[in-house]
Formats: sequence, C-alpha cells, structure tokens
Amino acid sequence: MAAPSRAELVRIIFDILRTQLLSVGSEFTERSSLVDAGLDSLAVTQLLLAIEEATGVWVDESLLTPENLASAESLAACVYELQRRAS
Amino acid sequence: MSSWQTAAPIPLTGADCFLRAFDAQARRRNGASHLSQLVLRLGPGFDLAGFCDLVARVSRANPLLRAPIRRPFGLLPPVYDTPRARLDAAPPVRVHETPSRRSGDAPEVFFERLNGTQDLRRGELLGFDVVRYGGGAEGTDFAMTWAHLLFDGSGSEHFIEWLAACHRGERLPDDLAPAEGAGIAAASAQDSAALRGRGPRERGLKARAYQARMAAFAARPPRSLAGPLRRTPQALHYAVETYDKEETQQAVERAHRQAGFLTPVLFYLAAVIRAHHAVFRQRNLRAASYAVPVVANLRPKGAPSAIFRSHVSMLWFQVLPEQVEDFATLLGVLKEQRLARIREGFIENGAAAMNFARWAPSRLYARMAERVLKGELASFFFAYTGDFLPGLSHFLGAEVLNGFHAAGVMASPGSAALLCLRAGHLNVSHVRQQGVFSPGELSTFQAELRRDLLGVDGSR
Repeated sequence: MAAPSRAELVRIIFDILRTQLLSVGSEFTERSSLVDAGLDSLAVTQLLLAIEEATGVWVDESLLTPENLASAESLAACVYELQRRAS
Repeated sequence: MSSWQTAAPIPLTGADCFLRAFDAQARRRNGASHLSQLVLRLGPGFDLAGFCDLVARVSRANPLLRAPIRRPFGLLPPVYDTPRARLDAAPPVRVHETPSRRSGDAPEVFFERLNGTQDLRRGELLGFDVVRYGGGAEGTDFAMTWAHLLFDGSGSEHFIEWLAACHRGERLPDDLAPAEGAGIAAASAQDSAALRGRGPRERGLKARAYQARMAAFAARPPRSLAGPLRRTPQALHYAVETYDKEETQQAVERAHRQAGFLTPVLFYLAAVIRAHHAVFRQRNLRAASYAVPVVANLRPKGAPSAIFRSHVSMLWFQVLPEQVEDFATLLGVLKEQRLARIREGFIENGAAAMNFARWAPSRLYARMAERVLKGELASFFFAYTGDFLPGLSHFLGAEVLNGFHAAGVMASPGSAALLCLRAGHLNVSHVRQQGVFSPGELSTFQAELRRDLLGVDGSR
C-alpha cells in the first residue's frame, strides 16, 4: 500500500479529530488550533494511536510541540516528514 | 428552564456512584465524608451580603444543590431526588470573623470542614466558609466544600466562574441552560460515551477486564505510608507550597520538555512518587510497589462545560521501587504504561466498571476495591489540574490572590498531592492524615519534591 500523500494525511487526521475525538462544529477546519478546540492529554494520546493505526507512523511524544499541534495541517506535516524519513 | 430545575430525579453517573461508595467507606472507617474543597484567597472588597443572597437564589433555582441522594426502592441506581429537595436546605454560608492577621496557612476551619460529615441522604451536598480578616478590610479566605460527587475538579471551577458571572450580572441564577443544558445532554450521553454502541455483555466483559487488571496489581501489593485501611477518626491537614514565578517557569519548562507540551501530568506524578518513595526509604520500609490512580476526564473535548456530576474514568499506574530510583527511568515507565493502558482500552473498561457501580450496593463495591489492593486504596492520591480558574481575576468584588484545590484522603493512603497553576505560580496542596508524616519525613518529602520539580541536581 502506498504511503499517504501530505494532503491525504491532513484529511485522515482531520477526520479522526472531528469524528472520534473532538466535539466541534463546522467552524473547525484543517487550520484550526487543536488546543483551542479542546485537545488535551488524553485526547492527544488517543490521536497518536489512531494515526498509528491509520498510517503505521508513530509520532513520539517529544514531537508534540505547540508548533506541531497548531492545526491538523501542521500535525500532518510532522507525520509526513516522519513517513518520508522512514521510507 | 434549566435541566437542573426539572421535577424528575437526576441519575448519578457511574463515577458519581463510585465516589458515593467511597463516601460510605470513609464514614465507616474514619467518621468523615468524602469531600472536596476549592479555596480562594481574596483581597479586600468581598461582597458578603451579595454572596449570601446569590447562594440563596442559586439554590432556589437549582434543586440539585440540595437534593437528597437516594437509591429508589433500595434497588434502582441512585438519583438526585430533586422532587424531594427541601426548600430550606440551601447550602450554608458560614462566616468567621477574625481579628488576627492572615497567615500563610489555610484557616483551621477549612480543615475541620474536610474532617466533617455531610449527609447525602438529606441533601447536604455543598457548603461555604468565609473567613474575614479585620471585617474583610484585610482580605478574605473563601472555601467551597462539597460532597466529592457533586462536581469533579473542573466542574467546581466552572461553578465558581458562573457564580462570579452571576454577581457581575452577566449570568442569572436560573440560566444554567442552554450551555449546561447541552452539558447535561452531553453528560447523559457521557455515561456511555466511552461505551457507545456496546451491549450489556460487552460492557460486562470490559468491566471484568478492568477488574482483572486491578487484581494483577496484587501480585506486587501496593503500599501507602498510612498502611492498610484502619478505623481512625479523620484528622487531616493540608499545607500549600506556592512556588515563585521563576521556580514555576523552571518546573513548567522542565515538565514540557521531559513529558510533552500537552502531557505534563506524568512529570508531576513522577516527582510525587519519588517524594513518597524518599519517605519510605527514610523509614527503611520497602513497598512491593506503588499504585496510583490518575483521573481521566471523559467530558467531550471542546463541548460546552458541564458543571454538575463527575464525568471521569481512571488510569492506574503501578511502579516498582527499583524503577523509582532514577527520575528519567520512572518517567519512561509511566509513559509506557499510559500508552499501553490507553491502547488496551483501560479508560473505557474503567467507565464500564464504574457504570456497574450504579447497580452494586456501595458497601460491596468498596469491599471489592479493598480486596483487590490487599487492604490499601492506593499508595497516595494525586491530581494535576492545570491552570486554576485562569479567567477569574476577581470574585464577588475581591481580587483573587491565590487559589487551589484540596480534598479528603482516607486513613489509607493518608496522603494526597494536588497540583495546579495559578497566575504563574505552581501550588502544591499536600493533604495528609495526622501522624502519617513525622516532621522529619515531611521535610524529606518537600525537599525531594522540590528537587525533582526544579531539577536542582542539574538535570534538565
């Protein structure tokens, strides 16, 4: 199976957040702040596990910086970089 | 009309029932209720008359605050029996005038309140103590003490924020809807949020998996400084150590760097485990293990904040003494355990087990917990609640100088550490039963905790 593209990663992460983890409305977009939307310590760990299940990529907690958690897009960029390095 | 004004009884959540079981346990063993407390240290200007009036109006509008908690027909899951809430049973506001100057310690009456009882079956759920210095001109200490199941920690902070907003005229005593109305809808779903779509059999299996995991802890039985459960009148005190801004910044940066930006809780937990371990070492005692529950908030992330009732499950951690000697090793073990527990569905399993507590008699449930941990309830209690009322600069007209949480802790484990951040200061509330720490042990505990929080051994 081909590794997901960066755009696909954005969609995967956004869908996980919107449908499984956060209680958000239509104002929540790929560029919305994850922390402001309610992502907390428990949800972020659940997010990492869901990303691993969907993509096979494990994001170490040390990479959970404010910059990488700024939005679904920025987190997808981090996952994409990890994926690229692993391949 | 708010959901809290309806005539229908309001069911307790699974977590509420779990806490109700421990309230019954604390009464039997220690003659005290299982209570929580939120403390505000205020500057001058507290509007006492306005507060008393506000509490009366809020209480009238929200029968839940004075509703007897009962199990209908002695069989069905317990409820807040709002139709039977007595009109004259408003939460008491006890005023204590003192000419003495305010000390660094919380007033004695706050400890007395935590050592007392509140009869849940009579609707005694909540009370306030207001200690005024120099008639309020030199400041006020304020405590809200509640049956642990009425609010969880974040719910209690939302309630205080809401009271402050009512006093400013921005909210009304009966306007808990729609935001909290949405909250109760979410909360009702919340009872099963972690279990959505699962039938009774699957829930039963999850509850059994939780119990099996807990039973596995007994292979290396955890130990507390107070020793196994005993019957002794509750006599607890707490002391709050407030770190200065520079120290707090140091601790927070260290926590973020070592444990993660959104997950600093394990950093603080590791420091508190090691502080207790240092006291065990000083006593030449060796625990087979340390086991600590950490609350996992089940509220929908980003949903409107619910105020009443508990919406939590638990993550348990168990570490061996040899894993505690080195801070980095301990933190690594805690991170691994958190990941493994979440991966195996421990939080959902805990929610299922708590849900079953709605049906089990409270005495039975407490005995099961005792048996599983060989007479202990935990090695100590711990909470890190993050920023304490970050948006609240004034309460009823007085500046909020500091604020923190405290809670009752039974004779076992006899020790609890509750950490929060307030206006750039780290507060560590250390609650302990009388006699559990000698003065020398207390010094050791505080010094070890400070060393790990600040990294004064040079490790960054």
